[in-house]
Amino acid sequence: MSASAKAWIKNEQKLGRAAATLPVALGGAQVLFGIFQVFCAARLLAAVLHQAPRGVHALLFATGFMLAALARAGLGVQAERLGFERGAAARRRLRSGVLATFMALGPAGLRGQHSAELAATSVDRVEAMEGFHARWIAATALAVIGPALVGLAAALADWRSALVLAITGLLVPFAMAVAGIGAGLAAKKQFVAMTRLQTRFIDRIRGISTIVLAGRGADEARALAAAAAELRVRTMRVLRVAFLSSTALDLAAAAALVLIVLRFAAVLHGDIALAPTALFILLLVPEYFAPLRAFSAVYADRLAVEAVATEFAALPAPPEPVPAAEIRSVAAHGLTLAFEEVSFTWDAARGPVLERLSLRVNSGEILLLTGASGAGKSTIIDLVLGFIAPDSGRVTINGVDRPVLVPAALNRMLGWIGQRPMLFAGSIEENIRFARPEASAEELAEAIRLARLEELILALPQGIRTPLGEGGFGLSGGQAQRIAIARAFLKDAPLLLLDEPTAHLDPAVERDVLESIRRLSVGRTVILATHSAVAMEFARDFGAKRLDLDALRHARVRGVA
Amino acid sequence: MNPVFDILKLWRAQAGWLALGALLSLAALGAAVALMGFSARTIALALLGGGLLVPAALPAIGTARVGLRYAERVMTHEATFRALAGLRVWLFRGLADSAAGGLGLRRAGDALARLVNDVDALDGLYLRITVPLLGAALLVPVLAVLLWRVQPLALLVLLPFGVVGFYLPRRAARLAAQNSAQAGLAMAGLRSAALDALTGLREVKIFAAEGRMLATVQAREAGLLAAQRELVARTSALQAVAFLIAQAGILLAILIGLGGAPVPAVIVVFVATVAFEAVLGLPRAGVLYGQAQAAAARVVEAAQQPPPVREPLAPLALPPGNAIAFEHVSLRYAPDLPLVFQNLSFQFPAGSRTAILGPSGAGKSSIAALLLKLVAPESGEIRLGGADLAHLPAEAVRGRIAYLSQATHLFADSIRNNLRLGDPTADDAALWRALEAAQLAETVRALPDGLDGWVGEGGHNFSGGQGRRLALARTLLSSAPVLVLDEPCAGLDAATEAEFLRVLNTATQGRSVLLIAHRLTGVEQLDRIWRLGGGGLMPATS
Repeated sequence: MSASAKAWIKNEQKLGRAAATLPVALGGAQVLFGIFQVFCAARLLAAVLHQAPRGVHALLFATGFMLAALARAGLGVQAERLGFERGAAARRRLRSGVLATFMALGPAGLRGQHSAELAATSVDRVEAMEGFHARWIAATALAVIGPALVGLAAALADWRSALVLAITGLLVPFAMAVAGIGAGLAAKKQFVAMTRLQTRFIDRIRGISTIVLAGRGADEARALAAAAAELRVRTMRVLRVAFLSSTALDLAAAAALVLIVLRFAAVLHGDIALAPTALFILLLVPEYFAPLRAFSAVYADRLAVEAVATEFAALPAPPEPVPAAEIRSVAAHGLTLAFEEVSFTWDAARGPVLERLSLRVNSGEILLLTGASGAGKSTIIDLVLGFIAPDSGRVTINGVDRPVLVPAALNRMLGWIGQRPMLFAGSIEENIRFARPEASAEELAEAIRLARLEELILALPQGIRTPLGEGGFGLSGGQAQRIAIARAFLKDAPLLLLDEPTAHLDPAVERDVLESIRRLSVGRTVILATHSAVAMEFARDFGAKRLDLDALRHARVRGVA
Repeated sequence: MNPVFDILKLWRAQAGWLALGALLSLAALGAAVALMGFSARTIALALLGGGLLVPAALPAIGTARVGLRYAERVMTHEATFRALAGLRVWLFRGLADSAAGGLGLRRAGDALARLVNDVDALDGLYLRITVPLLGAALLVPVLAVLLWRVQPLALLVLLPFGVVGFYLPRRAARLAAQNSAQAGLAMAGLRSAALDALTGLREVKIFAAEGRMLATVQAREAGLLAAQRELVARTSALQAVAFLIAQAGILLAILIGLGGAPVPAVIVVFVATVAFEAVLGLPRAGVLYGQAQAAAARVVEAAQQPPPVREPLAPLALPPGNAIAFEHVSLRYAPDLPLVFQNLSFQFPAGSRTAILGPSGAGKSSIAALLLKLVAPESGEIRLGGADLAHLPAEAVRGRIAYLSQATHLFADSIRNNLRLGDPTADDAALWRALEAAQLAETVRALPDGLDGWVGEGGHNFSGGQGRRLALARTLLSSAPVLVLDEPCAGLDAATEAEFLRVLNTATQGRSVLLIAHRLTGVEQLDRIWRLGGGGLMPATS
C-alpha cells in the first residue's frame, strides 16, 4: 500500500476518533454494568452453594442483576444507533467530497476515467467505509479500555487473579507478534486474494456474452473453478497461520480460566469468606476477553478500508478556485469570442495541440472548425467552456479574460451540443428542463416547438412525461439530438458551441437536425466543429468563416504561419 | 419453494467438507461447555469443602478446546471456499446457458455484475447461519440433561434459550427480508443518480447543474440511509431483547438452583452462560438470512432461465458449406411487440463481403442475433450450408460464426489470455500473426511485458482503437469461416475508424464478412451492400 493511502487512512482514523468519544464512553459503561452483573451473579451463586445468605439478600442481588442487564441492553441499543449515525455521517461526508471533487475537475480533469469506475468510487467504495467508522474505531478503543476496567475490578477482589488476567491478556498481542506474521498481514493477504477472485468473477460475468458467442462457456467455467481452487489452496495456507492469532486469544482465555480455577481450588477448602470472590473472578474471565473478541470480530471492517484507500488517496485534488477580488462581468448584448496566441498541450510526449492560435468570432458570426481528429477542435471548445486553461495566451469574451468573469454570468453565456446528448433518468420534460429548471411552461413549449419535438411527444402515450435514460424509452440518435437542441433553445445562451453534432446520424436525419440547428444559430455567436460534408456545406451556406486546423498545422510545420 | 434450499442443494458436492466443518464446530462448542462445566464443578466442590478433583482433566479440556477451535476455523473456511467456488461456477454456467443469450448483443453486463453482490450475500449462509444454528440445536439436549439433574422444574430455562436461539432469529429474518427490498431499491437509485451525474458531467457543468445533481445524489443517499437506519433500529432493539431474555434465563437458572442440588446448579449456571453467549449471535444471523433469501431468489432465477432459443430435439450434423440464406424471415421479440422485419430474404454466399446498412432501430443487429441463434424467427428459415438453423445446435453454429461488436468485452487479464479466447490452442507464433494482421503487433511489442501485458478492466490500458483491434485479433484467431461485424467502429473517431476498416480489409481475406453499420466511410471493400429499412431489405448502390 502506498504512503498516500496510509496517510489517507490515518486521517480518516483521526476524524473517526474525534467522533467516537461518546460511543466509547457508552461501551465503557456497558463493561462497568457487566462487572456489576457478575458481582451480583457471584453472590447469588454463593447462595446456591449455601455459602451466602438467601432470602431478601438474594432477591436484592437478583434485582441488581436484572437492572444492570437492562442498563447494558439499553446502552447497547444506543451504542449501535450512534455507531450507525457515525458511519452515516462519514459516508455523507466522503460521498459529497468525492462528487464535489469530480464535478470541480470536470470532464477534462477526469479524462480517460470510466464513469462506471467513478460511480463505483462514489457509491460502493464509500459504502465500504461504513464499518470502519460505525464499529471499528470504537472497538479498538474498547479493546484496551474494556480489559483494563475488568482487570481493575479483579485486582480489587484478588490481586493474584488479576495478575493471571493481565499476563494472559498481554499474551494475546505478544503471541500474535511471536507467530511472526501479525494477524493483520495474513488476513490482509486473504482479503486481497478474495477481492482478486471477486474481480475476476465480475469481469467474466460482464463479458459473458463474448465468452458464450466465442463458444468458450464450458472452458471458462472450468477455468473459473480452477482459479477458485488454486486461490483456496493458497488462501488456506495463509489462513492456517493467520488463525494462530485467534488461537492465541482462545489459548489465553482458556489458560486464564484454568489457572484461576487451580488458584482457588488449592486454597478454598470450604473457606466461606472466599466463595463470592472465587465465583466473581471466575465469571469475570469471559467479560475480560469479550472486548478483545469483539475487536477481532470487526477486523474485516478495517481490511475493507485497505481495499478502497488506494482509490480514495489517488483522487486528484480539485482545482483552485479563482480569487474573488478579480472577478468581473461583461454586458452581453451580442458576444465576441477571441483567442490570443493560445497554446495548449494535453500530453508533452505528443507535443502541443494548439500553438499560438489566434482567432476571433464576432457577434452573430459562425466559425467552422475542421480538421482530423486530434487536430484540436474539441480542445478549442473545451478551452471556451473552461474545462481546461491555456498553457499560454488568452481566451477572451467581449474583450475580457475568461478566468476573471463571474462564473455564473459566464455560464449563462455558454450553450453546447455534443455528439450524443446525455439523457438523464427522468421524463422528457425533466430532461429538457435540465437546461433551465425554472423555465415557465410557455418557454418549455416554445423550446419543444423550435426543436421540432412536438410530433414525437404527441406520438408517445405518456407524452412529455415519457421516462428516458436507463431503462426508459430509447430515443433514436436524431431524436436525442433534438432534446439537446431544445435544451439549447431553453437556455438561450448567446454563444453556441457545436462539437460534431451530427457525427452519429444518417444523412437524411443529419439534414433535418442541421435545419433545426440553423434556426437555433440565428442571432448567436457559433462555433461548429465537424467532419461531415453535409454540415460543412450547411455552414458555408450560412456564410461561416472556416478555420482548417490541419492546414494550420501543416503551415506551422513548413514554417509558413 | 425456498430459494435458499436450492442453494443448499448445490452444496451437496461439498457435503463431506461442510459436514466435517460442522462436526468440528460442534466438538469445539462441546469442549467450551465442558471447560466451563468442569471449572464450575471444581470450584463448587472446593467451596463445599469436598475433595479436589484431579486438576489434570481441566488443562486437558482447555487444550482440547483451543485445538478444536483451531481445527474448526480451518475446516469451516476450507468448506466455505469450496462451497463458494461451486456456487460461482454454477451461476456462471447457468448464465452462460441462458441470460448471456438473451443479453447477447446488448451491453447489459453491468446488470449481471450486480448479481455478483447477491452471490456475496450468500457467503455467510454456511459459516454464519447454518453452523451456529446447528450449535444451538446441539446445546438443547446438553442443557436439558444438566438442567434435569438440578431439578425437573429447571427445564424451564430451555424456554428463554429457545426464544433467543430460534424464535428471535426468525423474527429478524422476516424484518430483514422486508427491509432488503426497500434498501435494494434505494441502493439502485443512489447508484443510477451517481452514474447519471458522472456520465453526464459535460451537460452538468454546461447547464450549471452541479448543485442540483449533488442534491439528487444526497436525496437518494438519504433514502438509503433511512432504510438502513430502520433496519439497525429494529435489529438492535431485537438484539437488546435477546440479550435481556438471555440474562433472564441465566438468572432463572440461578434462582431455580437455589431450590435444587447445589453442585449441578452451579454447573448449569456456568454452562448456561456459555450456551446463551453462543446463541446471542443468532438474531443477527437471522438478519443475514433474511437478506440472503432475496439474494438467493434473484440468483436462482437468473441461473435457471431457459435458453432464449430452444435447442433442437434431434439436432442435425453441421453441413460442410458456409453459404447463408435468409428465406422469408419475419421476426418479432414478443407477441405484443411490432414486427422487426417481415418476409426478409437475402443470400450471403460463402467468401462474400456484404454490408447491411440502416438507421438505428431498423433491426440490423437482429440479423446478427438470428444468425447466432440468440433469437428464433417467427416464420421463415435461415440456412447455413443448406441446413435450417432451427435443426442445428447453437454451439455448433457459433463455432462457424465469429462475432465482433462494440460490446465485445476485453477481459482484465493478460493480452495472451484475451487472445486465446479466440483459440485456446494457439501458440505464441499464432498470436503474433493475429496481432500482425490486426496491426497491433508493434504496440504490443513495445510493451515491457509483451504478450503478458495487462489489458486492464474493460481494455482500460488501451486506447479505443487499439482495444477494438485487439478484439479483432481475437476474432481472427478463431477458425470460424464467417465473420459478423456489428458496428465494430461505434464510438471511434473518424480517423481511427478509417484506419480500423483498412486493417479489416486485408485481415479478413478468404472469409465471409458481414458488416453491419449505419453508414459506410468509403474505405470498406465490399461485394454487395443492402439497406435495411421499413421492415425490408433492398440492394443499395454504393
